[in-house]
Amino acid sequence: MNIQEYIESGKLELFLLGELTEREREEVIAMAKAHPQIQEELEALEQSMFAFDELTGKVPSTQVKEKIFASLENEFKKEEAPKVTSAPSLAPVESKVVKITPWKPFAVAASLVAVLASAAAIYFAGKFYETDQKFTALLQDQQVMADNLNQVKLEYEETDSRLDRLVAGDFRRVEMIGETLSMQKDAKVDVFWDQKAQEVFVAVNNLNSLSAEFDYQLWAIGKDGPVGIGLVNAGEKFTLQQMQAVAEAGAFAITIEPKGGSKAPTLEKLVVLGEVA
Amino acid sequence: MQEEEIIAGLRARDRKTTEYLYEKYSRALFAVISRIISDQDIAEEVFHDAFIKITRKIDSYEESKGRLYTWMANICRNSAIDKLRSKEISQTTKTNTIDDFVFGLESQSGTMEQVEGIGVRELMNQLNEDQRFIIEYIYFQGYTHSELSEEFDIPLGTVKSRVRAALQVLKKNIERI
Repeated sequence: MNIQEYIESGKLELFLLGELTEREREEVIAMAKAHPQIQEELEALEQSMFAFDELTGKVPSTQVKEKIFASLENEFKKEEAPKVTSAPSLAPVESKVVKITPWKPFAVAASLVAVLASAAAIYFAGKFYETDQKFTALLQDQQVMADNLNQVKLEYEETDSRLDRLVAGDFRRVEMIGETLSMQKDAKVDVFWDQKAQEVFVAVNNLNSLSAEFDYQLWAIGKDGPVGIGLVNAGEKFTLQQMQAVAEAGAFAITIEPKGGSKAPTLEKLVVLGEVA
Repeated sequence: MQEEEIIAGLRARDRKTTEYLYEKYSRALFAVISRIISDQDIAEEVFHDAFIKITRKIDSYEESKGRLYTWMANICRNSAIDKLRSKEISQTTKTNTIDDFVFGLESQSGTMEQVEGIGVRELMNQLNEDQRFIIEYIYFQGYTHSELSEEFDIPLGTVKSRVRAALQVLKKNIERI
């Protein structure tokens, strides 16, 4: 077949338009391979078709492009390590904005602090006052207890010294009872008498209390008649009450006398009597 | 970028090559489609599918059986024709004409393309009536040459030679523009 005839048959155009059968296509390809002239014409035709298409076409909208590449995104091979490794992002430089000092918030804060401090001061002052009072009360209590202790100590020492004397001395016990007398039948008072040391103690066992105008008075009855040797306290029972010194006595007796005692006993008011054995 | 590089890049699923392909050919390929499908949205939908088809079918492309642009243009053209014949687009919308297309280019596009549109109008004016008819039906309405032959009762050989003649005129004039 004449090459020029073949070119002009229109087969090449239809080949480019994709309108040939598979057999016809292969024929065109084989012809183009065998005849550089046909190949040239084919390429020239394609070029002009592309030029024509390019000339008559307009660019599809950018949305289509985006859509196409979005659809293809997963199919692309991951790009080789990016040439420019993104520089480590610098820490954002904090822009130092100098603000005009807002006085209001500070004033509010300061007032608040002041109020809180005052409240705290008042609270702790109250606490302190309360504590101080408790402390004072405790001090007073302690003082009272110390006083009591002192008193007890004194009493103990006094009692102890009397006991010492009682034990150490040569005391005789003289029982005075009111059994035979009319005043107080059950009255009972003991006299302890150290004749050598001339010391006398009384211990009230049972003795009625008297009204304020009267006192019990102890008498030592010797050769020279009764001698008043002191007043006896009816309330202090079973303790030793020291009396005045007596060197010589045959008997002891207690009478009720006017307050302060008398020079001579009122015999009508004799309460108890005991003879020295 | 040489055609061999483009093909190798596409087969390697390289993004940059795909972008290059898009930049170089999208206008022409979209023209192939929008010549046949007048509705802008549908044309873009077809272009989207066709372009993805191109990138996915690149492995089955054989260099020995034709150049890359021919292969891609055929995919776009066939996609457009398939769409046109599908239920979505009724035959009545098949009303694209060269004048419609050129007018569309002039009215829808920017200044630069308008200038080109004028160029296309001039280009079309170089064709005689028969050639113009052939180009309109084959290029703009997606008819195959056999369909054209049957529908308009033109002998197949005549269709072929008219296509040839029309393209020769276009080829000559494109070189001039």
